[in-house]
Amino acid sequence: MNFGEIIFLLIIIVTMGGALMAILSGSIVYALMGLVTAMFGVAGLYIYLDSPFLAMMQILIYVGAVSVLIAFAVMLIGPLYRRPKEWTTAGKFGAALGVALVTLFMFVRFVTGTFPRGGNPFFDMTTKEIGRLFFDNLVLPFELISLLIVVAILGAIMLALFSRGNK
Amino acid sequence: MLQEIPSGLCFILSGILFTIGAIGAIIRRNVIVVFMCIELMLNAVNLVFIAAANALSSMDGSVFVFFIMTVAAVEAAVGLAIFVMVFRLQNTVNAYEVHLLKG
Repeated sequence: MNFGEIIFLLIIIVTMGGALMAILSGSIVYALMGLVTAMFGVAGLYIYLDSPFLAMMQILIYVGAVSVLIAFAVMLIGPLYRRPKEWTTAGKFGAALGVALVTLFMFVRFVTGTFPRGGNPFFDMTTKEIGRLFFDNLVLPFELISLLIVVAILGAIMLALFSRGNK
Repeated sequence: MLQEIPSGLCFILSGILFTIGAIGAIIRRNVIVVFMCIELMLNAVNLVFIAAANALSSMDGSVFVFFIMTVAAVEAAVGLAIFVMVFRLQNTVNAYEVHLLKG
């Protein structure tokens, strides 16, 4: 086991630990920190899968923007000590765990059993190739997604303004 | 060594991540934590897209992940605005106490 594999295993452990912390922590702020850790781990996995552009996008969008938005929402939504009955019951927990484990094993069995291997081994997903693909074939979806972002930001602003004005 | 990472390991990993997110979305009641679990599931789906694109030497997975990330950011903006507004109107973010659409 060389250095790169050790780093890969560390990234896997950090991602799993962050995800577990995100769903099991009692405090919302600790859960948010766990989510940010898991997203950093996924970005590291993207680098190992030869996609440095998408790793950068992951850090910019998820770690930079979405987590800050969630932190703002946590700060705007009330005091953290009022958490009445925040967890479901033990029976539902067991049912959720059983269903999820069965789904997971079926998924892993299906994917690792039948997934084909193909393509040329000298292919690399560089940023140049992705940009060429976007601006050659996918210009209309690329512009439509920016329009979608503008509409969503305007909608969020209007939602906040009108709900404040009516109260 | 970097070319020898098996994509099967990344498939298993993304399955585990998706399962963790699904369990969290089932057992938590705070809508912000449920939203974070949904983000976790989106990350797992992105990871399986990238792993499949790497295994098949195709560019389509990157395109899908790009659009999924953008739509997830939009969803975060609108969804969190809705959560803040629901908290202002009903003074709770507990998913069992929001009976707005229950009739």
